[in-house]
Amino acid sequence: MVASATRGKYAVQPQSQEPSSPDERLIYLIDKGKTFFPSQYQILWERACSKLAKAGYGALIPLSYARHSPKLVNILNPEAAINLAASVSLAAIKVNRAAAELLPKAAVVAATELKSSHAFSSWIMTIEELVHHAPESSLAVLERTQKIVSTLTPDRFRSWVLAGLRSTSDDTLRQIQYFSFVDPESEKWFLHEAGDVVFTNLERKLKLYLISLWNLMPPVRDLVASTSPLSMRRISITNGVVQVPEVFPGFHDEQAEKIFRAGLAHAGAHLMYSTKKFTLGELKPIQVALVSLLEDARVEYLAMQAFPGLRELWLPFHTAKPSGPKLVPLLLTRLSRALIDLEYRDRDGWVQKGRDMFFDAQNDMTNPTLCRNIGVLLGNDLGQLRAQFNSKTYVVEPPYRDDNMGLWDFGDHQGEDEGDDGIFIEAMRTTQEDIKDDSSSNQDSEDSDDRDEQQYSARESLDSEHRESEVAIRYPEYDFLTGAERPNWTCAVEYFPDFGDAYKIDRILEKHSNLVNRITNLIQSANVSLPERLHHQSVGESLDLDACINAVISRRMGEIPDPRIYSTTERKHRDLSVLVLLDVSNSTNDYVQTADTSILELELQATSLLAYAMSELDDPFAIAAFCSDGKEDVHYYRIKDFESPYDSSARAYLAGLQGKLSTRMGTAMRHATRDLIAQRTHRRLLLVVSDGEPSDIDVEDQQYLVEDARYVTRSISRLGIDTFCVGLDGSGDSYLHKIFGRKNVTVIDRLERLPERLPMLYFRLTA
Amino acid sequence: MNLDSYLITDEPYYSPTHNEVQLFEAAYVNRMPMMLKGPTGCGKTRFVEYMAWKLKKPLITVSCHEDMTASDLVGRYLLDSEGTIWHDGPLTIAVRQGAICYLDEIVEARQDTSVVIHSLTDDRRILSLEKKNEVVKAHQDFQIIISYNPGYQSVLKDLKESTKQRFGAIDFNYPNPEDEAKIIAHESGIDNKTAAKLVYISERSRNLKGHGLDEGASTRMLIYAAQLMAQGVSLEDACEVALVLPITDDHDIRNALSSAITACA
Repeated sequence: MVASATRGKYAVQPQSQEPSSPDERLIYLIDKGKTFFPSQYQILWERACSKLAKAGYGALIPLSYARHSPKLVNILNPEAAINLAASVSLAAIKVNRAAAELLPKAAVVAATELKSSHAFSSWIMTIEELVHHAPESSLAVLERTQKIVSTLTPDRFRSWVLAGLRSTSDDTLRQIQYFSFVDPESEKWFLHEAGDVVFTNLERKLKLYLISLWNLMPPVRDLVASTSPLSMRRISITNGVVQVPEVFPGFHDEQAEKIFRAGLAHAGAHLMYSTKKFTLGELKPIQVALVSLLEDARVEYLAMQAFPGLRELWLPFHTAKPSGPKLVPLLLTRLSRALIDLEYRDRDGWVQKGRDMFFDAQNDMTNPTLCRNIGVLLGNDLGQLRAQFNSKTYVVEPPYRDDNMGLWDFGDHQGEDEGDDGIFIEAMRTTQEDIKDDSSSNQDSEDSDDRDEQQYSARESLDSEHRESEVAIRYPEYDFLTGAERPNWTCAVEYFPDFGDAYKIDRILEKHSNLVNRITNLIQSANVSLPERLHHQSVGESLDLDACINAVISRRMGEIPDPRIYSTTERKHRDLSVLVLLDVSNSTNDYVQTADTSILELELQATSLLAYAMSELDDPFAIAAFCSDGKEDVHYYRIKDFESPYDSSARAYLAGLQGKLSTRMGTAMRHATRDLIAQRTHRRLLLVVSDGEPSDIDVEDQQYLVEDARYVTRSISRLGIDTFCVGLDGSGDSYLHKIFGRKNVTVIDRLERLPERLPMLYFRLTA
Repeated sequence: MNLDSYLITDEPYYSPTHNEVQLFEAAYVNRMPMMLKGPTGCGKTRFVEYMAWKLKKPLITVSCHEDMTASDLVGRYLLDSEGTIWHDGPLTIAVRQGAICYLDEIVEARQDTSVVIHSLTDDRRILSLEKKNEVVKAHQDFQIIISYNPGYQSVLKDLKESTKQRFGAIDFNYPNPEDEAKIIAHESGIDNKTAAKLVYISERSRNLKGHGLDEGASTRMLIYAAQLMAQGVSLEDACEVALVLPITDDHDIRNALSSAITACA
């Protein structure tokens, strides 16, 4: 059905002089097209045409190719035109005739826009990649060639395609939704690749801005995808959570930054000054809109009292003119402007009245009921003017202002019949419910160091009871094919670990008591700290001035001088924090090749020995474990935190670990780094214990997660954190070498080898 | 040795934030060793100068660093053509002559250094110069003061418990906004209204403490900003130079801070 519709749209209408039979028309087009080619290419192109004609794809595909491909000769070169035949053929085999027929035409569009043959060949390669991995979606992309090539460079195009393929994995339906821009994620990544300023780029900056102004730390997250068109999306504040649309269409670069900043400052003003919710009561939709508008003006007024500079931020968005038709939405924007812009003059009686009433109450601005009173009156006036207000299409203007859902208490009025007038309110209600639902099931979008925020999401997720989790934080992931990180791509969710039998850990210690002592001694003898200067030494690399003077004095006094006149530097302490990150994916249930214990068992044994030694020596250390179930659900278990003791409950958590799910190592490492970075020791070590090979259910390309983990290792080391990997079972060590570097991996297959390999680790830290 | 050069002749400007002057005077009556705690740039050193002036006692200040040894404080033998001569260190001078000895940022010094002050900070009030075989009894006017900025040092660099417990402590913080504005106006010569605005701005920066900043803008930084403004520099530029750029290299924090300053203007 799609195919036939497309064919109708794109099929070539025979021109008057063209023969009507397909065969004759092909011959006619080949004769005509040939003239575009230099003589040595003519025969090749003819061959390409006839190959397509004989392949049994139907008549339309070779016709389309013969008609369009010669145009590539002038724009690019003859080779591009001839090579296109292979791609067309591929599309015909892998996708369908419609896509193959459309490809030559799309290629001309792309070539015209891209102009260089290099860019064109990357475009065609990406199309082929798409044809291979998501054939059902190729047609949707080809149909949007103009939009795509005019916005994205070929590299960015590929990156957008990969984002689609990676986020939808094998789900054909979701792929089609993504590539036909039905899925809002698609638009988001498209804009991201287009280099537009999206909220994610600014998030940290703007959060700090709110902290700086008001010491406010509201949870800020992406606006939950809604059905409303992009241009109608507004910031939304619900129960203290600020939801921000990923983009404001039409605002680019600096303008985009300004509108996000203005929006967040406005949200901050609400959080500071809109302390009580309005009850809906018997208010008409227009009155609701007006009360909200006045409340906006009131909180901005108060905010500007504290921060006069905010006026400069907000004012440029108020562009209403004091003229034009007296439609309600326009009057509302004029009133908004009149309430903030002191220079603005409006001769409309209603706007003037609103302004006068508002500023007459200047001394009473801290009282929100004044908005309600004025709003009701102004609403009645509009009603008497018989001005039409369509609550369905009403959107708050200017766009930096929020949708004001959070101002209203919808509590008791649920389900009452409000008649026609109630649509706006009903609309508000439904949206309100949506948001409630969404915010309870949607615990992501956290990307900040703020404890408060974490605690917030902790509470929130406990309420929801969908997942037994504490914190959910989003992390980027590195795509080696594009050489860049995709922001907020994965989500690490902290789960409460299961309790196990703490005695199991004690039994391990008892059984290996000889190893316990050896390991404790080994760690004790390792000094990892800043070198310290030692005076009064018998050997050393520099003279100790005080000792030298003393020696000379002794000699003059006829005594035997003290020969210890040198100073040297030495590492004397062990100033090191260690976070042990355990891989507890399903594969750890396998048995170690050379012994009869499971990998998980070996992990537990090694960890309990290490943990015992470190706790005996008072070294700061933490233990965590991870496994993953797709990019949205990377499980992270805190077994022991740096600040908590290694007591029986920590041991019970450790003993309770079970091998399940997959290994998304990079995300877990990113999450672990957050804890480690806060440690104020000389060296910080992330010790990953794994059986190798990262993998996940939604990733086909094995290399992808390996490269991501490798990227994380490198970026962690830039933060001054060391990574080291203990591989269990030799089979996966080539991956581990790739991720951590050959020197930072040690593989043990028996517990007895741990003391042999451990010195290497500490040696690496002091070398 | 004449300590006249260590006397503070002109009254240093100090605006008390609380009852710290009375507390200190009471402590001085008994020559109680004092510890001044508080963030950098909040006026600890100025307070010591002010008290030295008020009590009319010479003040010997030693800035401690991590390679400082006990000899640097106590003194050492030096060689000359005749033979050897003993040279008193700053602490010994203060002990002999009855000065106030102020050890700034004591935790920076090696731990063995802080131990030499132990005998001075209990009822013995003596300093023993082992190399010289001499015990110096502290002059009756001698008092020891240390400053200590908790928080930013690592756990390893903390005072020993035995050292901590020999001191009385006064906690300093940034003055309340009105007082801080007055101080800034006095030190820089700008008007009170502008000074108050700077204090308001500093609150934006102090809000960010713990969110990427280790410390917010100190009173000292505000004075620098005000001094720039007194020379005709605009508020935005002065704040950028004195309040934003020095404290962070993180672009997001700089951006947030600059924007917040613009909002205050």
